[in-house]
Amino acid sequence: MRLEQQSMILSIFASAVAMMALLSSGAIDQVAAAEPEVVAKNLDNPTGVAVSPKTGHVFVASHAGVFRYDPASGNVTPEIVGYPTDVYGKGPMYNIGPLGVAFLGDDHLVVGDGSRVDLEELVRVYKISDTPPDSPQKETDAVATLGPFPYNESTTKGEGNFYGVTVSDSAIYVTCNGDDTKGWVAKAQIVDGKPGKLELAIATKEATGVDAPVPITMSPNGNLVVVGQMGEINIPGDSLLTFYNAKSGKMRRNAKLGLNDVTGLAYAPESNRLYATDFSWLDTSKGALYRITKVNSEEPKTRKVCDLDKPSAIAFDADGNLYIAVMGTAKEGSDEAPGQLLKINAGDL
Amino acid sequence: MMKQPSECSSALVRSGNRQFCSALLAGCLCFAVFGFGLSLTSVIAADGDIPAGLDKISYPKDNPPDEAKIHLGKQLYFDGRLSEDNKVSCASCHDPAKGWSNGDRFATGVGGQVGGRSAPTVINTAYQMFQFWDGRAGSLEEQALGPIQNPIEMNLTLEQVVAKLNKIPGYREQFQKVFGTDVTSDGIAKAIAAYERTVLSGNAPYDQFKAGDESALSPAAQRGMKLFTGKAHCTACHAGANLTDNAFHNVGIGMDRDDFDQGRAAISKLGGDTGSFKTPTIREIARTAPYMHDGSLKTLEDVVEHYNKGGIANTYLDEEIYELKLTDQEKADLVTFLKEGLSSKDYPMHKPPKLPE
Ligand code: HEC
Ligand code: HEC
Repeated sequence: MRLEQQSMILSIFASAVAMMALLSSGAIDQVAAAEPEVVAKNLDNPTGVAVSPKTGHVFVASHAGVFRYDPASGNVTPEIVGYPTDVYGKGPMYNIGPLGVAFLGDDHLVVGDGSRVDLEELVRVYKISDTPPDSPQKETDAVATLGPFPYNESTTKGEGNFYGVTVSDSAIYVTCNGDDTKGWVAKAQIVDGKPGKLELAIATKEATGVDAPVPITMSPNGNLVVVGQMGEINIPGDSLLTFYNAKSGKMRRNAKLGLNDVTGLAYAPESNRLYATDFSWLDTSKGALYRITKVNSEEPKTRKVCDLDKPSAIAFDADGNLYIAVMGTAKEGSDEAPGQLLKINAGDL
Repeated sequence: MMKQPSECSSALVRSGNRQFCSALLAGCLCFAVFGFGLSLTSVIAADGDIPAGLDKISYPKDNPPDEAKIHLGKQLYFDGRLSEDNKVSCASCHDPAKGWSNGDRFATGVGGQVGGRSAPTVINTAYQMFQFWDGRAGSLEEQALGPIQNPIEMNLTLEQVVAKLNKIPGYREQFQKVFGTDVTSDGIAKAIAAYERTVLSGNAPYDQFKAGDESALSPAAQRGMKLFTGKAHCTACHAGANLTDNAFHNVGIGMDRDDFDQGRAAISKLGGDTGSFKTPTIREIARTAPYMHDGSLKTLEDVVEHYNKGGIANTYLDEEIYELKLTDQEKADLVTFLKEGLSSKDYPMHKPPKLPE
């Protein structure tokens, strides 16, 4: 289904909207709207953003592969291509490829993939040069490949859809969206700068009773893994914010966010404020960026920063500027991919 | 979460043909006579009296529970006078003796009209975010007045039912005491909903086993429980204290019919919800046959066989439904778990109360 058709379907019928209004949480209050700047256009279902700690270049995972945006020149160039393709959702449906990205050290990019079927999906690590390559790397040019997770005791249908990636000093963490009975976060120890075996580490569904861990990030002190659970895409208001001990994987805190489908999570450098995006699958007109307040309480609150059209991921650069991937909605009759990379300057947050 | 690598067909074009079903069933439909035993004993779960294994109940702010209100709601629930012919009560179709369902495939209404959906249990509806198979009602309060007004169920207008009950001094007195008014439709809804929130089942062998009592489940049931959360993949949807994710899924029921029930899609208008229904609780499941929104599966053996073969293939089938390849022994163990593990010795076997004159 084409995106414009989807959005038409979504807007024709007001009943879903009415239901959302009925159920929307009272915990959300609005602040003055920041105006994001569009820095890259025509992206095909972007789902992951990472900023190189060395060059400040921004890497975006999308259905068509991984792209590099250079803030100095404004150029967007293909970085890694050649992934297979898969489909997410049953209507609306989205074509997906590589999903999540995060930097490992200064010059390696970890890519969580969603382009295969659940039993075969991979997490790949690529060496990234300081300047855009003459021709993009191929998917298979990875310096390391982690996974897949086939059938076994821990995952009855294999794992896949590696949506979110985060990297601490000692491990790579990846959210998995394949097996709905466990909702795994997978983990690979890093030894001498190299990732070890990727293992199923935290069963988030068993811990929280809710599906779909999607965004993941490290707490500022690196002790906690912070996971957003999207919950059911056809149920409003069921998203969770959950904190796990990074070493033991034990759940520390779990709270309802009042968001419909949390997709991005990132701490701003310096201020250590936590931000989240809500894709709001059922009613995408409610898609937005939020700042989360009372993060450490039993009942975190959210303050809207700005509305967004199907936001899927966020990442800060070292200066506290925020990059946001949005899937967007195609204009009627247009063949252009509607995805965008947006930027909000540190001072506007 | 749903994912399905298949073509995207025109979901909308196909929706609608079964919409009549949701409309007609705006409440429920059935026509049955309930013989009232006159028992004065009533076991009512008071606030804070929640069976082991279940979550806390969140009560609506404008309808906190209290004993007099719950007692009033119980009388209304069992009272056939809420229907046109004085014979059909809520309990006709949601009968404590039949798992708080009705034991029939479909609820049958006045004049023999047969609807397309089976009566769900009222047990643990206190925990549901959505009521009805397609989730078209939110709260129990919102749901309660539907069946009374439904022309092929209880068939009274709200004015009629209010006038009728106002002529019964026993009801007028209780409404005055509980709500400070004569009988109102708002009060009827609140009292019935407050009563329904006391119809709970927990503390099953499954809960006791999870709490550490290994003798609570037979070895076969323990094997079945392992399958339930493992190879048979049931907890992808039947998870949490009430064994439901409160979401909607197409598990391939009735999808071999041309005029299949659109389910949730008729409400949400999302193509992906086509043929999707609310995941029901499966506590006390041994008592509520036949199963599924269309009552099409007679036994739990049939249910397990349905899941084992991966449901009825269709474009909208949930990706968590696939061929399970269970052996005969595994199927038997899974059924044993469902029957033995999820049936509580504290089953809420409420008796009809004495009705006011
Ligand atoms: C004629 C049979 C019949 C009568 C009488 C009846 N119901 Fe129902 N009830 C049904 C059917 C059938 C459904 C499912 C309809 C659907 O999902 O579309 C249902 C659904 C429900 C549900 C939703 C349960 C769930 O899990 O979604 C509740 C609660 C309920 N009824 C309560 C009541 C109450 C209270 C009364 C009396 C005021 C009542 N019913 C009278 C047949 C009946
Ligand atoms: C993809 C989610 C999903 C999975 C996985 C799933 N169920 Fe269900 N279950 C549902 C839904 C939704 C219904 C109602 C379907 C309908 O009526 O069309 C249901 C209905 C049932 C019912 C009938 C309940 C009633 O009151 O009629 C039983 C029993 C049941 N499931 C048991 C199981 C068992 C056992 C398994 C594992 C083998 C399982 N389910 C796996 C979602 C699921």
